[in-house]
Amino acid sequence: MSGADFKVVLLGSEDVGKTSLMKRYIQDKFQCRPHQNTIGAAFASKTVSTRGRQFVLGIWDTAGSERYYAMSQLYYRDAKAAIVCFDLTERVTFDRAKQWITELRNHEENCKIYLCGTKKDVVDDGIKASAVAHERVLQYSKGIGAVYMETSSKTGLNVAELFQLIADDCVLPSSNERNESIKLHSSKKSSSCCLAS
Amino acid sequence: MASSRNEDDVDDKGENAEGKHPEGNLLNFEPETPVESMLVPTDNFDSFEQEAPPDPTALQGDDNLAECQKITRNSSETVAEDPEKNGTSRSMSELSLVSDDSSEPQHVDEEVSNNAEWRSQEKHVFILSSAGKPIYSRHGSEDKLVTLFGVMQALVSFIGDDGDTVRSIHTHGTLFVFLIKGPIILACVCKTRESVSQITVQLNYVYSQIVSVLTLEQLTRIYEQRRNYDLRRLLAGAERLVDHLLIALETQPALLLGAVQCLPLTSTTRDAITNTIVSCCNKIKNLVFAILVGGNQLVTLIRMRKFILHPADLHLILNLVNSSESFKAAESWTPICLPKFNSRGFLHAHVSYLAEDCQACLLLLTVDPDLFFPLSEAKQKIVEKLRRASLLQSINAALAHPGTPVSQLGVPEARHFLYKCKATAQFWGPVPAPPYQTSEGAKRLLDQYRVLHHRLHAPSQPLKLLYLQDHAETMLGWITTGFELYVAFEPLVTKANAIGAVNKILRWIKKDENGLFITNAPTF
Repeated sequence: MSGADFKVVLLGSEDVGKTSLMKRYIQDKFQCRPHQNTIGAAFASKTVSTRGRQFVLGIWDTAGSERYYAMSQLYYRDAKAAIVCFDLTERVTFDRAKQWITELRNHEENCKIYLCGTKKDVVDDGIKASAVAHERVLQYSKGIGAVYMETSSKTGLNVAELFQLIADDCVLPSSNERNESIKLHSSKKSSSCCLAS
Repeated sequence: MASSRNEDDVDDKGENAEGKHPEGNLLNFEPETPVESMLVPTDNFDSFEQEAPPDPTALQGDDNLAECQKITRNSSETVAEDPEKNGTSRSMSELSLVSDDSSEPQHVDEEVSNNAEWRSQEKHVFILSSAGKPIYSRHGSEDKLVTLFGVMQALVSFIGDDGDTVRSIHTHGTLFVFLIKGPIILACVCKTRESVSQITVQLNYVYSQIVSVLTLEQLTRIYEQRRNYDLRRLLAGAERLVDHLLIALETQPALLLGAVQCLPLTSTTRDAITNTIVSCCNKIKNLVFAILVGGNQLVTLIRMRKFILHPADLHLILNLVNSSESFKAAESWTPICLPKFNSRGFLHAHVSYLAEDCQACLLLLTVDPDLFFPLSEAKQKIVEKLRRASLLQSINAALAHPGTPVSQLGVPEARHFLYKCKATAQFWGPVPAPPYQTSEGAKRLLDQYRVLHHRLHAPSQPLKLLYLQDHAETMLGWITTGFELYVAFEPLVTKANAIGAVNKILRWIKKDENGLFITNAPTF
């Protein structure tokens, strides 16, 4: 029993807004500070419809704190998609996002990567300038074959779109996976396998 | 307040002025002793205090400390509290003078520590590495206190050099307590009336909190690899756990008593809840503990047959739940190390609140990192069954209950009391009523309990019965093999009335024992 058809994992430095992104998507809510850092990881699921069918996305919101890095594999293992977040206004978080992507590429070849620049509203409102040039990120994401999106959990910009895109992509039969007919069973099967191991 | 205290009968036999043994007048209401307890019974303060000296096994990681420890073992006198004992201690007392008077203005200019508000704090707690790197400060940013951390490290290593261990420094009005735990140094500077052993217990709790976040394994390894590692990188976000724990230590009697409070429920309700959880979980292998808590109280605890939980570990779990709002938002899967259970590794905890309309938090602890979905499914089943049996309502009703004030017990002389059942490591006390309903009043009451607790458990001369009278209240503490009782009376209560009241309290507790305490120790 895996609880979901597709596993999606949120990764990124602490305080880039992974929990806010999930909260906006799941509950359509946004809570300004104070936000507490996530402990370990939180799980939530949401039903999406794509191509006329219903699927359940199981989303893992991981903790950004460094002490959890050692066990992050536990959370991204077998993920169909990873949303690697960085704060548009913090350069270091982008560098860290690149490290995450390298790690994912090494351990989870089949995991699709969605690079997500968060806190777009902060840039749009002119509170803080963007710390990474838009073109550079685009170029980088093209280079690794990832989708790039800029979101704002505060305004809701691109949040639902991002998850919808993931759902659409996950359902698409890809060369690595066998086929739709397996989908319903495969996710269940694969995870019950890993549970037994 | 302390000076006006009039100590009436304080001797180890507990005899009063008339030479009559007051215990003779007290009825004996020993609590029902369960065959097994789900919590490790904490007999007395000593079992906590055993941890006060540095733990030799924990020291092995660090070369310097291991060497220091070797010498310590050879040295006959390790407690440097008496300045007359030997040369080392004398040099220590000199140091204490330095740190008290002259060094502060020198070091502290232009720093937070010069700030009047910072200086007026009653209690400071600092954590640093043995290399002197700041890790945590209760008040003020540890970054701005670097020099102060340097002084603390110097003190510890100076005394360590002579093969001695600094435990406490006593100055006029201020107490400095140190606890050295392998590569970590914890220090407390306080102006409260707490004793060295009580502060040491608190520092041990803080240390356990850090171990709980990192495991002892990781903590030792980090400092083996890099002695001057900045631990704050790994503890990012965990400061609030330490903050919250220190507040709990200052405000809650549970940690003083080494016991937990149970959510009052009838025993049939509690058993029904327990059985529901057991029925949904007993097929799951590797599930070690299932713990249901609500309002900082224990609803039920189910354990794997072989294992029991230490109350200190349960306090860390309660601290985690109470200080993490994020658990309310989503199901969590989080690693947690319970130092008394096993300090070397993590347990994985499925943490979730039962429902939007029932704010009790269920923790399912396992050693299997892949068990999230089976546990998530089990939790859904538990909630469904509890809802069908209207047990969620029962929990809600108990959580919403304002608590029993002492006035409902028909003991007008008593203002407040704490009753601890030793065998089950559980306690109960009424909700604070005037004059203790304010935060200052509650603090003063807890201070009184602390003094009483310390005197009763004094390692040099433990007492069975203590009766203290001062202008604000009369305090009575009584320890038997089965329970500990601490009572605050009106200041002018007579001894006969006090004893009568104690008997009434015990009779009342005995009558409601099954609702106030968990007297069985359910297993999967």
